[in-house]
Amino acid sequence: MADIPNIAASVTSLKQHLEAHRYICSDQIATAVYLAYHLRKPVLIEGPPGVGKTELAKTTAEMFELPLIRLQCYEGLDEAKALYEWKYGKQLLYTQVLKQTLDEVLQGAKGFAESVKRLHEFGDIFFSEEFLEARPLLKALREERGCVLLIDEVDKSDHEFESLLLEILSDYQVSIPEIGTVKARHTPPLVFLTSNNTREISDALKRRCLHLYIPFPDIALEQRIVNARVPEIAPQLREQLVRFIHDLRELDLKKVPSISETIDWARTLLLLHADRLDSELVRNTMNVILKFQEDIESVQPELRNLTDKAVRS
Amino acid sequence: MDQLLTNFIRALRNADVRISTAETLDAFSTVQLVGYRDRQLLKDSLALVLPKTPDEKATFETCFDQFFSFRERSASPPSNTLMHSGSSETADADGSQPGTADAGGSGESQGKRTGRGQGTGNTQPVRETASGAESLDSGEMSAARSPLGQLLTRANTIEINMAISAAGQQVNVQQIELFTQKGVYTRRILEAMGHAELQQEIFTLTTSDAIADRRLAQDLGRRRDWLRERVRDHVEHQFLLHADVTGRRLRESLLRNVRLSTLEQRHHRLLRDIVQRMARKLVAAYSRRRKVVRRGQLHVPRTLRRNLKYDDAIFDLQWKSVKTDQPKVFAICDVSGSVANYARFMLMFLYSLEEVLPKVRSFAFSSDLGEVSELFARNDIDDAIALALRQYGSGSTDYGQALADFRKLCLDELDKRSTVIILGDARNNYGDARTDVLKEIYDRARRVIWLNPEPRSLWNTGDSEMRHYSPYCHQVDECGTLTQLERVVSRLLLSQR
Repeated sequence: MADIPNIAASVTSLKQHLEAHRYICSDQIATAVYLAYHLRKPVLIEGPPGVGKTELAKTTAEMFELPLIRLQCYEGLDEAKALYEWKYGKQLLYTQVLKQTLDEVLQGAKGFAESVKRLHEFGDIFFSEEFLEARPLLKALREERGCVLLIDEVDKSDHEFESLLLEILSDYQVSIPEIGTVKARHTPPLVFLTSNNTREISDALKRRCLHLYIPFPDIALEQRIVNARVPEIAPQLREQLVRFIHDLRELDLKKVPSISETIDWARTLLLLHADRLDSELVRNTMNVILKFQEDIESVQPELRNLTDKAVRS
Repeated sequence: MDQLLTNFIRALRNADVRISTAETLDAFSTVQLVGYRDRQLLKDSLALVLPKTPDEKATFETCFDQFFSFRERSASPPSNTLMHSGSSETADADGSQPGTADAGGSGESQGKRTGRGQGTGNTQPVRETASGAESLDSGEMSAARSPLGQLLTRANTIEINMAISAAGQQVNVQQIELFTQKGVYTRRILEAMGHAELQQEIFTLTTSDAIADRRLAQDLGRRRDWLRERVRDHVEHQFLLHADVTGRRLRESLLRNVRLSTLEQRHHRLLRDIVQRMARKLVAAYSRRRKVVRRGQLHVPRTLRRNLKYDDAIFDLQWKSVKTDQPKVFAICDVSGSVANYARFMLMFLYSLEEVLPKVRSFAFSSDLGEVSELFARNDIDDAIALALRQYGSGSTDYGQALADFRKLCLDELDKRSTVIILGDARNNYGDARTDVLKEIYDRARRVIWLNPEPRSLWNTGDSEMRHYSPYCHQVDECGTLTQLERVVSRLLLSQR
């Protein structure tokens, strides 16, 4: 079992442990995890797609050896899917079964008032924890040892859902009308929210979170990331391809390649047994890093230049 | 509470970073956790807690560097005595023991240096050079006579700080507004503290025969330099807290209400910032997409699911609903000389609202009309506007021709969700107004809005055709200034609800 307080004792130690789990990060990112743990505040992570927002939550869970509970947001997500729902099927089944016992319960009851009273004692069972289907948010609160809760792409969800999150984010509790308030068991979950910024997240939500912006990494950091993820790749090729990607990001593209594309490309080149970049190789593997035909076409004429530059410097 | 952090937050707020009280509290607990020791860690941590957008993060970065850099410098006094109390200030900032600066024994200094707190490690080199300049042996020194000299030799940082801020109050340093005033205020504060007297004393001491006097003169000189630095920092600080922003706010509020055509080129950058800020505000207010229930259409699967709990007795009906469509906006801009500047800002405004108005199509004309949406899709806003102006800006205004062209181009695409905004002064050079075309547009579109940059009193004078056009518009507005423009756009967004 991981010694969580020890790992989270300082930013440096967190950074080392994250690196041990093959997540290479800047101080800023490690600081975010540090503060999230010590202040018990959710972290809202923003940044371009593919820079490792989701990965950070996953790695943190792995590092702390906590279960990861993931809630993928989409348009139309509501509390029945995010928070809890009643197990209607089970309720129905039980009603059927209990129909017979109903007579026994009611036996000997004098008058209508008493029957109703007896039924009342009986009826509450159907809306108890037994019949509660916990969805990710509720599940996260009930974890004994705490957990990492990842609310992915929160910008895709509706505004109503954002408001629903407020209670759980600030107080680590949810209110269920039939039962009451459910609080986090012992340790509240570490919450990570990610957003691709397709729309502005409301101020109320931002106020309750730490805000981490992950930009594209600099060359040195990205080389280390590639090294951690694809250790088999030759150092020379690694340098060249990272430089190439960085030059590519400078261009005016519809979608610039992100870290995940760099890693995919490194894997591809490894498969092709390449040990250095040349323009022919780049041309043939272009579709790994650029995802729009438009982009590929606009880069095509520059290709030789870019490759030479990356190889030479 | 921690004055340093509060001041920093205030400086941030002045720089337009929105920080709520809750976030301030978060910042306090963060600082309690990480302390002031590690500057980078402090910066990283506060950057997570206070700014909440990439823009704000950039502002935060510069603010932090500005704010904490000179504080660090100012904590380095010239001699070892002062050095000691200087470090106590850092301890003070840490929240441990405020006001324990002991100012004893100015001579036997070397031992104290090791006893200094860890916190001011960064400033060590500065100090070394300061004490390295000493040429006379340390030893007997005569006592200073001027009040400021005495204060400085007592070397109690807190006392000195208090004296500086008292002098600052005296000369009203809070009213500083422009950076050119920094020098003036620094001098005034020094004067109010008795700087002249100190200068005089140093001067007489230097020419004195007694070595103890000369030693004192040198010591005082060093302390005076340090004091100057300190006062300069104080003024800098006050400037950061009060002035920079007031000056800009003033300029901005003037710019907002000035007629756009009279603006000079050099204001354009600032204006762009204002436009973008206004747009961001509108985006935040309207980015919420709403659901509209389509009455009368049953959502069968959901109804069945919802009613399971009632043993399939269907009494909680679920209706189909749709998200409201975002408005389609057709912006037709007169870009002839007289109105070009207005067109620039309206287009800038509309395209800054991309998030809530993704379907803006823009058309430019002076005599012939053409679509310029493509230009905006490819270039950034400034370039696109310049290109549009170059392409369509020459020629005399002909509204009739432009409306006819518009009908040819995209009358078919107008539907009940489209809003047509026409920006122009309606001065048609006495040509054919073609109100019939406008009527056609009016009948098809959901709304037609005419924005006229001229003051209302000038409408319908001379060759202005406002009188003929306005019956075929849902809304006619004057939009000579940014404030008016903002009002119009916000109403446009509102009407979509």
